[in-house]
Formats: sequence, structure tokens, C-alpha cells
Amino acid sequence: MNGRIGLLSNKWKLRLYLLPAIAVTLLLVGHGMWSAVAQSFQTIDGEWTIATYAELFSNHAFFHSLKLTFRVAVLSTLLSLVIGLVMTRMLYELFKDSTLKILVWIPMLIPHFVAGYLVFLFFSQSGLFSSLLYQVGVLESRGNFPVLVQEKFGLGIILTYIWKEVPFVILMLLPVYYEIDHRYSEVVRTLGGSKWDVFKTVELPWILPILIETAVILLAFVASAFEIPYLLGVTRPEMLPVRAYEWFYDGDWSKRPLAFSAMLLPGVLALLLATFSIGAVQKHRLRMIKGRNR
Amino acid sequence: MKRKFTFIFATLLFIVACGNSETNETGKTEVLSKEWDEIVSSSNGTEVNLYMWGGDEGINQYIDEWAAPRLKEEHDITLNRQPMNTEEFMQKLLTEKKANKNKGTIDVIWINGANFKNAKNADLLLGSFSKKLPHFQEYIGSKDQNAEYDQGTEIDGLEAPWGNVQYVFHYDSSKIDTPPSTLEELKQWIHDNPGKFTYPNVSDFTGNTFVKHLLIKGAGEESGLLAEEFNKEIIKDSEEYVWNYLDDIKSDLWRNGETYPESLTKLDTLYSQGEILMTMGFNEARAESLIENGTFPESTKSFVLKDPGSVSNTHYLSIPFNSPNPEGAMTVIDFLESPEAQIAKMDPTMWGEGTVLNFDKLSEEDQKIIGNLDRGESVLSTEVLNEYKLPDLDTGYTEWINNEWANRVIEQ
Repeated sequence: MNGRIGLLSNKWKLRLYLLPAIAVTLLLVGHGMWSAVAQSFQTIDGEWTIATYAELFSNHAFFHSLKLTFRVAVLSTLLSLVIGLVMTRMLYELFKDSTLKILVWIPMLIPHFVAGYLVFLFFSQSGLFSSLLYQVGVLESRGNFPVLVQEKFGLGIILTYIWKEVPFVILMLLPVYYEIDHRYSEVVRTLGGSKWDVFKTVELPWILPILIETAVILLAFVASAFEIPYLLGVTRPEMLPVRAYEWFYDGDWSKRPLAFSAMLLPGVLALLLATFSIGAVQKHRLRMIKGRNR
Repeated sequence: MKRKFTFIFATLLFIVACGNSETNETGKTEVLSKEWDEIVSSSNGTEVNLYMWGGDEGINQYIDEWAAPRLKEEHDITLNRQPMNTEEFMQKLLTEKKANKNKGTIDVIWINGANFKNAKNADLLLGSFSKKLPHFQEYIGSKDQNAEYDQGTEIDGLEAPWGNVQYVFHYDSSKIDTPPSTLEELKQWIHDNPGKFTYPNVSDFTGNTFVKHLLIKGAGEESGLLAEEFNKEIIKDSEEYVWNYLDDIKSDLWRNGETYPESLTKLDTLYSQGEILMTMGFNEARAESLIENGTFPESTKSFVLKDPGSVSNTHYLSIPFNSPNPEGAMTVIDFLESPEAQIAKMDPTMWGEGTVLNFDKLSEEDQKIIGNLDRGESVLSTEVLNEYKLPDLDTGYTEWINNEWANRVIEQ
């Protein structure tokens, strides 16, 4: 049996072994994606048209949603990366031989919806913090508590995402920090470099690829997740996934194609972003390993 | 190579097996032409899957503990209640229709309004069956307003009325002495109590109907036409009233009208936490079970607006095009329209909603039972409810409110 397979060249063997995975992906994900694309170009009766996209681009609600989605996704990604990076730098020595790191990863065990609900319970105007401050007399009425959830900027949503994604950033960065050859850092310091110089010349080139990859993952995730903006957002503007959900489940089925096209656009953007950044990251990695281009 | 071939062959087999081309189009018309006795006898010993919204404990209890055991006893039918949101089982049916799946899993669905319109237009329903049901013939009749139009859509026997509810407001009587009784008084009350009132986002059924009351008031003498086909002329005359009213109260709403609760559940939560002092909704007896389980304060009472009145709404049962057991479905629907089942449904400890049966057609005995029913402290008397009852509007107005509200109220 093995003998026959052995007759195949390595290239063919690889393709054969990957076939089940590719087949499943194509059948399930591929078919799903295709029907989403098809339905965004069809009326509810099955006629092909591009009217949906024309309507989408002339729709104010869509642009307001897009703006909010962009703001929330970029802000929560950047803040998660910065906080995660600072925490990793401070903690990686400590984590080396300690079980304490489990503490940092606890938020990862909690589902996003539960996390959103916790934020709602603690930070809403009738929530635990406002009640506490009211009971001890800091606030005259619970209505004086700052509005953090269900307001137009998206503070509550960003807060939830930061709390959930910082552990993820740490998880991604920690192994890289252990890989860095820290003798380089000593070189920089002996030559009179500051801490910032150490970070810039030694650590940043190592962690840059992983930072970019993490950013793409987080951006795509935040821009397309539904539950947290639904729970913590306002009626208008709403984030894109909520907008699409409303179009999809609206009493009027003729709006369904809008829902598909509204979610396809960020999907295509994320795909492009991923392709370009992974290409750039690969080049950077090659340079790090082989010292090319310098 | 052999393995690869086997694998490809298996994959092909899998794909072929996925196709489902079995048809039973003929079965559909056959069922509808059968005699009633035949339908009942062939439904003996079968299972019926009832797909319905499962968010209310009282309603679930009525189905599971009252209806199911009696159906088992009388017809030997096993009734399975499958809790699923209406949008989701509608989607399921639409997908099955597209995939030509002619033997589904759903026998009975609970729908009305826009969902019925969608289902009718997409041809998702079995056919005209309601005239066959003896209880429908005897106690409702196809001349009944509720049997002819469902929010402006002609029913054509595709669904059978199941229940009727009326729109009421609930308030905490320990904090409000005399509730407002007209829209103008309500507006004054909102100005006097800033931050203590709001209504759900109009994409929610309850929020949408709140706005419909304004539309009816604005239409004045023409309001009778609203229950018929969607009419742009009436809107032109009354829209000024609607948007002015909403704009006027906006700054005194909860959170200054910056945001609105997404659903009735969220509105109820705000009310139960005391953030707002009023909630609202379809079903005049809705508060009873919520008071009993401690969600609402015991001092909760209800009121209707005497001007313009209170919109009523009928909901229906129907059978999907691909029901595996249409005979059983018809027997179950007929049972649920019996006076016995309809009166039990009015019991406030379970469901507590109004009946669709014509009161005058009921036997004297049944009329007496209904007259003696104690529907609970928070429920208004049947006389008051009937006096201010208004029919529901065409679904075109629902969509109009949905589309305009965001532009006129939110983005200013």
C-alpha cells in the first residue's frame, strides 16, 4: 500500500493530502461565499442586477455605519496592540517561569457576548458602578454617571474589545519576545543607546511581522462581529454588522441583497489587506533571516 | 493512484447524495381536496411540529401543559413545540423552497403581518385550508374582518386566526396617580417627567405600532382608510403631525432620545429597573405573568389612549408548502380554534390573550364562562378595551415608518 503512494512525487503527495481540507473549504466556505456574492447581485426574485450596490453607495445610513465601524475597529485594534505590547514588555521576564500568566489570559475564556454584557452591567447608568457611587454619595443621582455604553462614539464597544483582545495580543507577542536574542540589547546599551533605542533597533524588527498580522486579524474581527455592537451600540449610527442584520431580517425581503453587499465590501477589503500585509511581512522575514537587501 | 481514485469517487458520491429531487406536488392538492373526517382519521397517531416564537413562558406553558396533553388524548397526536424566532423559520422555509426540498420538518407556523405577506408572495404556504376547519366555519366564518385581511394582505384561506391582542400601556401606579388618556396628555406628561419615557426602535414591532397611533391621530377622519390598502394621500396629510410629535417629545425622552431600546424586552428591562415609568406592548394581559414572576412591580396597571384609541392585532396559524404532515397540522389548528382551547388561552396565569371567536356565535354557556373570567388586576375591562379598539394598518405603513423614522427623528 505504502509502496504505491511512495511512487508519487512529493509534490503530488502534498496535493493529495491537502485535498480533503481543500474540498471541505471549497464546499462549505466557498459555496457560502459564492451564494453571498450571488445574492448581493440579485433581486429577491433572482434577477441579476447591480442596483443593490448603487443603492448602497447612495445610502446615508450605510456611510454613517461605515464611519463608525472604521473608527471602532481602528481604535480598538491600535489601543489593544499598544497596551498588549507594553504589558508584554513589562511582563515577559516575570512570565518566563511563572504560572501567573494564566491570570492575563482569563478574559480569553469569556465569550464576547458575555464580555459585552459584563461591560453593560458594570458601566451603564443603572449599572453596578453608578449604583456604588450613588450609594456612597459621590453622585447625586444615578443619571449623573457618565454615559459610557449605548452612546454615539462607541466607547463601550471599544472598551469591551480592548479588554478582550489585549490578552490575545500578549499571547501572540510572548513567544517572539522569548526568541529575541537579548545580547543585541546589551550591545545597544553599551554603545550608549536609550531604552527607546533598544526597542527601535532590536525588538521592533522582530515583532513587526507579528504585530501586523495581529492587527489584520483584529481589524477584520472587530469590523464584522455582531453581538457587542448590538448590545452596546445606539440606534443610529449602528455598526455595519448590525445594519446588515437589520436589512436581512427586515419585514421587507427586497432589502436582503443590501445586507449581503454591505457585508461583502468589508470582507473584500479585509482579504486585500491580508494579502498585501502577508506579502510585505514575508519579505521582511526573509530579510531578517538572510540579511538580504542591506 | 487507486486511493486517489477512491477518494474522488467518494466525493462525487457525496455530492450526488446531497441532491434531493423528490417531489410531492400532487400530495399537496390531494390533501386539500380530502373530506374533513378523512383528514382527522389519517392524522391519528402522527406527530405535528409547531414552530413558534418561544420567548414567553406563559405561552409555552399553555402549549406544553394545556394543549399538548389534550391533543394526545382526543386525537392521539403528539404536538412538538419548536421554539424559533419567526424570521429564522421563515428563512428556513425560503431556503428549502430554493433547494426544492418538498419534504420539510415544519407542520404548523405562527405568523402574521409582514411575515405572512412575504410567505404568501414567495409561495411558502400550503394553500387555502382554513375554510375546511369546522371550528373556523362555525365560530369565525370567512366574512370576518380578521379572516379576510391580515394587515392589508388578503388572506385567501392561507392562514387561520389564532388570537387577538390589543395595544396597551403599562405604568407603575405607585409613581403615577392618573395616567394620560390622550396623545396630547401623553405629550404633556413626557414634558413634565423628562427622561422617564421612551419607545422601542421602530424596527421593533412594538415601537412601530406606537408610531402608528400617531399616524391614526394625524389622519383624523380619514383614519378608517388606513386599515385598507396603503395610501400615500393619507400620509401626506398626516405625516406632519407624526414627525412634529416625535420631534417635540424627543428631548424629554430617556437619554434625550439619543438612543432607543432595540426591543420590547429592553424596554421592559428599563421599566423593571425603574429607569422609565411606562412600558407598552401588544396583549392587554401581558403584565399579569410578568407581575407574578416579579419582573414588574406589583403596582403595575395598564391604560389605553382614548384618543385615538388602541390598535388591535390578530395573529394566525398556517401550514408551510412542504409540511410532512398537513393532515395533522389541520387537525391541530382546528383544535386550537375550538371554544375550549380559546377560553383556556384567556386564562391570565398562562397566556391571557383575547379570543378570535365571534362572541355572538358562541354557546350561552361559553359566553357565561368568558364573562366570569377574572383576567387579573392589571387588565382593563373588556368593555373599555372594545370601546377603543382600532384595526391594525396595512404593512405598507409599517415599512413607511421604518424607512422615514431614521431620517426624520434620528439624523437631525
